[in-house]
Amino acid sequence: MSQSTPSRRNLLKAVGVSALGLGLTACGRGFGGGGDSSESGTVQLNMVWWGDATRAQKTQAALDIFLQENPGITTKTEYQDSGPYKDKLATRFAAGNAPDLVAMRTDSLREYADRGSLLDLNKHTDQLNLTALPPNIRNIGAVGEQLYGVPSGLNTIGFVVNKTITDKYGVPIPDGDTWAWKDLAAFAKEISAKSGKKVYGTGFEAGTLANMVVFTRQRGEDFFTDDGRLGVSEATVTAWFEMIEKMRAEGGFPPAGFFDNIGSSSSESPLAKGTLACQIIPTNNFLSYNKDAGGNLALLRIPGESTERRRGQTIDTPHLWSVSAKSKHPAETLKLLDFLVNDARASKATGTTRGVPVNPNVTKEIASTLALDDQVATDYLTKLQTEKLLRSSSNPPGASAIAASLKTIATEVEFKRQTPAAGAKAFVAAGQKALAR
Amino acid sequence: MTALLERTTRARPAAPARKPAPRKRRRDRAGYVFLLPWFVGMLFTIVPFFASLYLAFTDYNLLNAPRWIGFANFREMLADPLLRQSMKVTFLYTFISVPASLAVALLVAMVLNKGIRGLAVYRAVFYLPSLLGGSVAIVILWRHIFGANGIVNDLLGWFGIHGPGWTSDPDFSLSTLILLHVWTFGSPMVIFLAGLRQIPVMYYEASAIDGASKWQQFRSITLPLLSPIIFFNLIQSLISSFQTFTQGFVMSGGTGGPADSTLFYNLYLYQQGFSQFHMGYASAMAWMLLVIIAAFTAINFLAAKYWVFYEQ
Repeated sequence: MSQSTPSRRNLLKAVGVSALGLGLTACGRGFGGGGDSSESGTVQLNMVWWGDATRAQKTQAALDIFLQENPGITTKTEYQDSGPYKDKLATRFAAGNAPDLVAMRTDSLREYADRGSLLDLNKHTDQLNLTALPPNIRNIGAVGEQLYGVPSGLNTIGFVVNKTITDKYGVPIPDGDTWAWKDLAAFAKEISAKSGKKVYGTGFEAGTLANMVVFTRQRGEDFFTDDGRLGVSEATVTAWFEMIEKMRAEGGFPPAGFFDNIGSSSSESPLAKGTLACQIIPTNNFLSYNKDAGGNLALLRIPGESTERRRGQTIDTPHLWSVSAKSKHPAETLKLLDFLVNDARASKATGTTRGVPVNPNVTKEIASTLALDDQVATDYLTKLQTEKLLRSSSNPPGASAIAASLKTIATEVEFKRQTPAAGAKAFVAAGQKALAR
Repeated sequence: MTALLERTTRARPAAPARKPAPRKRRRDRAGYVFLLPWFVGMLFTIVPFFASLYLAFTDYNLLNAPRWIGFANFREMLADPLLRQSMKVTFLYTFISVPASLAVALLVAMVLNKGIRGLAVYRAVFYLPSLLGGSVAIVILWRHIFGANGIVNDLLGWFGIHGPGWTSDPDFSLSTLILLHVWTFGSPMVIFLAGLRQIPVMYYEASAIDGASKWQQFRSITLPLLSPIIFFNLIQSLISSFQTFTQGFVMSGGTGGPADSTLFYNLYLYQQGFSQFHMGYASAMAWMLLVIIAAFTAINFLAAKYWVFYEQ
């Protein structure tokens, strides 16, 4: 009988051993190690970015041209989904295994640049020619006198409206160059009402920083000031939340919990599912959204551009290209980067998957070869570029923590756990703390 | 769990003390050989283990060399509202899901122990979720099932109920994850089942003759004789539940949202270390978690004196 249940001693040991096992189990995953040179005489460059398979194909097409002309160089490319990209990149740098050419988020730039992990491109102008770039564009990757990244392309955010839906319910689309936020609210309300809420008029995430930044600028404030402090006021954040909650109460904006984080790709968007008539997208994704939403999208400006105190939209980039300070082959990496930036054949191959080319001469040269949808987004952006806009801004260190806290607080406001005013107060306090850190 | 099974199966021939010694030594040697892979794996964890202890006392941003700052990380933890939130989430999750999943596991084990036909099949079917439950694919599947426009809300819609966003509403998101955890009751169930099978039938027979009810039998025979197994499962579940990461990470896309409602301790630790470049702080958090888990385990061992019954 004594063996029928495990003895106390054995049980203690078993628990101890398995507890230790659980305690010590660490998860170790990451990009594979970056090999250096495959055979003598050839140089292997490691290049990482985020994106989908289509972007990978287009990027590879551009690389193929470069590789053919540079027989001494090979490339090892790695790409993945945008979400976990940033965490894995941090691990790569921490492990002393940084890639040579890196897709860098604008809100992470300072986190790497301030710690000496990136090459100052201003010191290598003989290998990387950036003279054709407008100063405003070059500034996106600048930190003081140093330059740590080149925009991979140019984009901005825009409102896309599904014309199939507006035609179906007979709602006219407002003029995208002159509409105000109240026009959006009226338009959205009408769509929702006429469709019996099968389709909501508009929807976008209150917690997406890029959206609120435009709204902030329109009200005459800078989201981040030039000396790296938080410029947005509580009143503006409150107004942003209140405007959205008002649209929600009127029915033009979907109920709380509508955006449920199932996926971020265009094919999973409410626009593609036909549950929203319009939403905000980055313009470089216009082609894929239009394809997934039935091919009948119109691209409008953000409301308020002509009715608020000043312009809010700026020219931005999906990401920067940075070179690791520890790259063993900086010369070859810079050569590749120069090819991507200045050679029209590279941009012909990639299309505008990362936005409009940063070099205006290249944009002119490839204009006629672009797919029609790429043409729409390119025209939108080039027209914007001829206008007087605010300077494209760079993000201070701590910007990514601010983006995270905006998301949290916006959700609390959405579910009425906080009033817009209380949420705004909490956000400004959290933002100031994140920047001070 | 494997350790326990190994112990119990090995313990049986070992118990009589008069077995010759050489055989025992040979058997022990075999045991160590079986443990060899674990020792080898240990080498890869022991270095990071102690490195993290050092890093806990430094300011380390992953890119530059760590800088010694003494207890500053631990002081900062005291004043960190997100850390408090992550503890709240983790404790809530643990204290609801662990008892709930153990209760379900015991219940199902007792039903299966009735000697129904096809036991092996049922056992496998119920065990399956615990192999899958922590996997990324299953969490993604759950995210779709419980999405605002997922299957669950479609079903509720047939009855005219407008379901909430089970994963996008901060009032429901953690409950959805708790449900997912309870669903993975298979591994404690299998252990319960093994334990139940070892309770001699004669106890039940004898008590039945004395007129004991089913409930009395459960209270006075099953529970006490099963208490070491319950204890084992409890400790195991507590430890793994404090370390929950995957479910929160995948369900929220790494943010711990909506509104930090699924910000598990380990998820916040990960964010601090790998997204915010505060690896020193993250290391300090890891050691704090170790202390918390050790404390809860110790409390359980102390309390065990009063309710765990060893039949010797």
